[in-house]
Amino acid sequence: MKLAGLKTAENAHDESIWASAWVPATDNRPALLLTGSLDETVRLWRTDELSPAAPPLGGHALGVVSVAAHPSGVVAASASLDSFIRVFDVESNSSIATLEAPPSEVWNMQFEPKGTILAVAGGSSASVKLWDTSSWQLVDSLAIPRQESSRPTDRTGGGKFVLSVAWSPDGKRLACGSMDGTISVFDVHRAKFLHHLDGHFMPVRSLVYSPLDSRVLFSACDDTHVHMYDAEGKNLVASLSGHASWVLSVDASPDGAAIATGSSDRTVRLWDLTMRASVQTMTSHSDQVWSVAFRPPGGTGVRAGRLASVSDDKSISLYDYS
Amino acid sequence: MSACVYIPVQNSEEEVRVVLDQLPRDASDIVDILKAEQAPLNIWLIIAREYFKQGKIEQFRQILEEGSSPEIDEYYADVRYERIAILNALGAYHTYLGKVETKQREKDDNYVLATQYYNRASRIDVHEPSTWIGKGQLCVAKGDLAQASSQFNIALNEDQNNVAALLGQACVEFNMGENEDQYQKALESYKRSLDYYKRALRAYPNCPGVARLGLGYCRYRLGQFDKARQAFQRVLDLDAENIEALVALGIMELQTNEVDGIQKGMAKMLKAFDVYPYCSMSLIHLANHFFFTGQHFLVEQLTENALAVGNHGLMKSHSYYNLARSYHSKGDFEKAGRYYMASVKEINKPQEFALPFYGLGQVQLKLGDLKNALSNFEKVQEVYPENCETLKAVGHIHVQLGQIEKALEIFRKATRVDPKDAQAFMELGELLMPTDPGAALDTLKSALNILKREGEEVPVELLNNIGVLFFEKGEFELAEQTFKEALGEGAFLSFLFERTKCSIVDCGAYNGQYWDMTIFHQLEDEGISLDFPWDKITTLFNYARLLEQIRNSERASILYRLILFKYPDYIDAYLRLAAMGMERKNIQLSIEMIHEALKIDDKCPNALTMLADLELKSDDWVKAKDTFRAARDASNGKDSYSTLSLGNWNYFAAIRSEKRGPKLEATHLEKAKELYTKVLMLCPANLYAANGAGVILAEKGHFDVSKDVFTQVQEAASGSIFVQMADVWINLAHVYFAQGHFALAVKMYQNCLRKFYYNTDSQVLLYLARTHYEAEQWQDCKRTLLRAIHLAPSNYTLRFDAGVAMQKFSASTLQKSKRTADEVRATVTDLKNAVRVFSQLSAASSYHSHGFDEKKIRTHVEYCKHLLDAAKVHCEAAEREEQQNRLKLEAVRQDSLAEEARRKADEQRKYQLERRKQEDELKRVIQQEENFERIKEQWKNYSTSGGKRKDRSHFEDDDGGNGERKRRKGGKRRKKDRRKDHYEQEANIEDEQEEMDEAEAKQMNSQVEEADRANAHLGLEDSDAEDDMGYSAIIRKRKAWSESDEEDEPAERIRNPTPNGYRNSAGSDEETRGNGRSTQNEEEDDY
Repeated sequence: MKLAGLKTAENAHDESIWASAWVPATDNRPALLLTGSLDETVRLWRTDELSPAAPPLGGHALGVVSVAAHPSGVVAASASLDSFIRVFDVESNSSIATLEAPPSEVWNMQFEPKGTILAVAGGSSASVKLWDTSSWQLVDSLAIPRQESSRPTDRTGGGKFVLSVAWSPDGKRLACGSMDGTISVFDVHRAKFLHHLDGHFMPVRSLVYSPLDSRVLFSACDDTHVHMYDAEGKNLVASLSGHASWVLSVDASPDGAAIATGSSDRTVRLWDLTMRASVQTMTSHSDQVWSVAFRPPGGTGVRAGRLASVSDDKSISLYDYS
Repeated sequence: MSACVYIPVQNSEEEVRVVLDQLPRDASDIVDILKAEQAPLNIWLIIAREYFKQGKIEQFRQILEEGSSPEIDEYYADVRYERIAILNALGAYHTYLGKVETKQREKDDNYVLATQYYNRASRIDVHEPSTWIGKGQLCVAKGDLAQASSQFNIALNEDQNNVAALLGQACVEFNMGENEDQYQKALESYKRSLDYYKRALRAYPNCPGVARLGLGYCRYRLGQFDKARQAFQRVLDLDAENIEALVALGIMELQTNEVDGIQKGMAKMLKAFDVYPYCSMSLIHLANHFFFTGQHFLVEQLTENALAVGNHGLMKSHSYYNLARSYHSKGDFEKAGRYYMASVKEINKPQEFALPFYGLGQVQLKLGDLKNALSNFEKVQEVYPENCETLKAVGHIHVQLGQIEKALEIFRKATRVDPKDAQAFMELGELLMPTDPGAALDTLKSALNILKREGEEVPVELLNNIGVLFFEKGEFELAEQTFKEALGEGAFLSFLFERTKCSIVDCGAYNGQYWDMTIFHQLEDEGISLDFPWDKITTLFNYARLLEQIRNSERASILYRLILFKYPDYIDAYLRLAAMGMERKNIQLSIEMIHEALKIDDKCPNALTMLADLELKSDDWVKAKDTFRAARDASNGKDSYSTLSLGNWNYFAAIRSEKRGPKLEATHLEKAKELYTKVLMLCPANLYAANGAGVILAEKGHFDVSKDVFTQVQEAASGSIFVQMADVWINLAHVYFAQGHFALAVKMYQNCLRKFYYNTDSQVLLYLARTHYEAEQWQDCKRTLLRAIHLAPSNYTLRFDAGVAMQKFSASTLQKSKRTADEVRATVTDLKNAVRVFSQLSAASSYHSHGFDEKKIRTHVEYCKHLLDAAKVHCEAAEREEQQNRLKLEAVRQDSLAEEARRKADEQRKYQLERRKQEDELKRVIQQEENFERIKEQWKNYSTSGGKRKDRSHFEDDDGGNGERKRRKGGKRRKKDRRKDHYEQEANIEDEQEEMDEAEAKQMNSQVEEADRANAHLGLEDSDAEDDMGYSAIIRKRKAWSESDEEDEPAERIRNPTPNGYRNSAGSDEETRGNGRSTQNEEEDDY
């Protein structure tokens, strides 16, 4: 299990890059890397040469904070600080819909594994908004109930400010992480809040389920730790430390054997889940690494594993994962 | 069968038979007989000598004194030799008495008597050699060697081979050698002495063995040990019970320092003891031996005997020394000290016998009498200037007396003298640790190498200290290796880590795991020993601390818990766990841990200060102050940290209150200043106090001075990984900002962010944005704010600020007389964004309180909309202009086309039509341009006033804005107490406190608000300005107001340095009112 640097595209955007996601391969093209930046554009990149696959896509204001791709690879969504979500056709860049659910902000987004729902972390609304991907209508809002045990209220008004979301691979569960460090787990079909996962006390900026096991959830937190939870049993399975600053992003490898994390400490780390330890540290970035993403399997003739990372230093790095 | 003398009876043939071993006790009988019979004088002498041999000194003296009385002189006037012999015997006797006598006066009396007897003998016959020899011996006894030598020489002149004179001369030479300080000259003397002995032996080969003793001593002194041994052996052959020879041989055997030799030596000593139990030499050596074999009882017995029999100063000194040593080793320091003292008293100068000085020094050191100990060791040093042990002892005392420089010098010398003395290197290294870690590391490494090369056991402290130094240098891997080495076979550690890795924790009981010791119990049940000796606990702690530093916090926490499992009173482990909790914002855990620590010691200043910091963080001001005070009292005010924290508390108190009472503020500031100064007096190297003092200076507007202070602090703070003073960078940047050096301020903020925060601190980003704002770099300002929002999504103030920045950008762009349509379009976009941001805030505020006044936001929204409308006009205008340019171009092109066409087709009519059309177009354009010009005119009006405003606003910020925004940290004591174990914990706590401060500083950044407010005000003021556009009358009026208001202004200056919490709970109403008020003020000032 290792990462090998393939290519780094310097100045891929004009400003800090904040978001990345892989657009799955379709029948007539391989998977593309989708990135969003403070420069208010969303860009598409071909692998492995990291050449632009399309001209920069506009339509955003105040910086793109999140991008997500539909599992079909046809549609993608991008969201910016102005709380608009733009849904567009990947091939043509034509807008399909513009979503907003005021006064809720938009942070992380993720499509349901089958692609029927887009889940959006709703910031101060303390809820996750669910959008139907055929009608692009808001279908539900999963709100976090106020916790009984009153923790001293966060003075930044962070409370249950929802930052991150993750779907379990079977699509039954949805987890969301908030500013105060709590992670909430929902039963999506019953639209019911199940429980909290404790252990973090600082913002949880990224969540991901293991692709193999719908119980296993990974969380990336400002407290420099990555937690591995048994999300059903409410257990903290492991606490992974090693980053020197905030962990901003976490993604699980398609084979389920590893996770990768990006951190403010400018590094990307690869963690071996059987050893529960960091096995490799990549230092190709010179500023905060805001997002890491493993390429999903699929597409013709593409078997090699790929990991992409994007950073405040305006660059994209691509690694071979094997 | 015993000897007898026969006294001839006068005038008869008879003789009186006197059996020598049956001499009467009363010598008067004999004297009477001798006198009565007029016995020859030699018989007198024989009998006297016999008495002497039997130890009947009185009788001996009586007979001789009778025999030398004037009547005898008269009677035996012609018997010369015997008379001389009697006088000489008396002389010798008194010489001996004088030699043995300890009291100086009686000694002198005896010598005087002896001299008198010898002189009388000389008067009888000046040439008698034995008199000269006697005189010589008297001189030897008196220590007058030169005189003695000349006396012996006279005898020798008479007879070259006078054995007694030769021996005397040899003795003189030997003693001269003994007294000689210079080694070479002493050797010469010994050689000469040896020659005399040889001559004596040649002259009288059958002389008693004793004469050969001197030979042996000379040989010994000359270093010819084998020959010396032969000489002594010869003495023993002649006289198997010769004590001196036995002792001498014994000493020589002992000095071989080999088991065999020592055994033989001891045998000799024992024999000497058997022969004559009162020989102090052998007693002392026996005692010495038994000291080393640990038989202290024997030591005491023997030494007491030695003391009883011997009267020789040096011998006594040795004896006392032996006794002292014995008590010393038994730990009875008081007695030991007394005997050492007695021993020292017997010594005239340390050269004779330095050891008791050393012992006395040791005991005094032990009993804490540093000064006397030092003087004693220094005496030893006089004798042995290169003795490493003494050097170390002296160095050690200097350390204890706080004379570090001196100590350093001495230890350096010690390491030079003996480059293999690991102990000296260790001490030196430890001394260097606080001042020169690099050199300390090198020195300690040498110590380690020495120990390893010698194959000796390496002390844990040494490895620990080396590890700490590596740690401090940032060489974590080496540090880890060293700690592991110090911990030794820590197989159980990896095992422990392995095991805990698999433990699953119930989320609900997350904090519970810190109390859960079951894992350790389990391991112990499985037979895995978790025991580690107490001296390794520090290293274990340091290792944990290192793991923390290299971000292996899981393992670190396990180690801390392990320490607590084994040593539940180890407060520092609790505090570290608390600090780790705090770092992860697990406040509850922190508090629990601190309370646990306080349970162990409710006066632990470190725990108290930590608690106070937490209380401050949760906004419990009064409680925090009390706790800080308790901490200060607990450490008797010696703990500068708590004093410093109190200073900070006062500073914060000064700038926090909303209803600012200038008086109250001044008192608080003054108090803060006082406390900082106090800390600085206590500990002039305290960076944090210096920083605090700088802040107060800046607060009072002395920017240049404060800049100097900050710069110095910044320089001092670079270097150690334990000193992370981001605050001073920020403060420096604030000062640059205050002085209008925006570019420098930006640089400083950016460097600070990168260096200390991994660019994650939204607060510093806010400062940066503020600077960009002042520098009118609108886009940079906006982007910086967007980054800050991205980092701190729930901080709505940042959004508000971003809105304001965009609004300001738009307004300023619209003010410009020249701008492209693109610019205007960007303006419009930004205005739209601003409207969106503000409306979102307004919407969000309906169910969230972020402390904004809805009304205010609405004003902004309206203003932005208004601007937007205005901008739309501008935009249309600009677009039209552009269009028009395009059309112009088009026209030109078409012109040329037409030209061509005309040339080609000559369609006059078409051309005219075209022309008319063009004219129409032109007219319209002109009209538009006029229209535009008018608008421009209006703008111009505005922008002039805008320019003025700018200046003012700078000024305003100078005293209003940045002063308060100084952040600072609570202090950290750089307590340089780095003795072995202590040190690291200290450092840790410091570190930890530093971290606490960090958080504290953040918390205090209520100052956020400050900046925000300032932004907000500027923004709003703009909006008013825009509203007022064109209404110059009003402007003028306002100007007039502002003048009259000027005086009130400083008091009314806006300030909202409230901590966020405060604002959430109570303040929002008041605060907004304050804002409104100040807005007005500013605006008035501006015009």
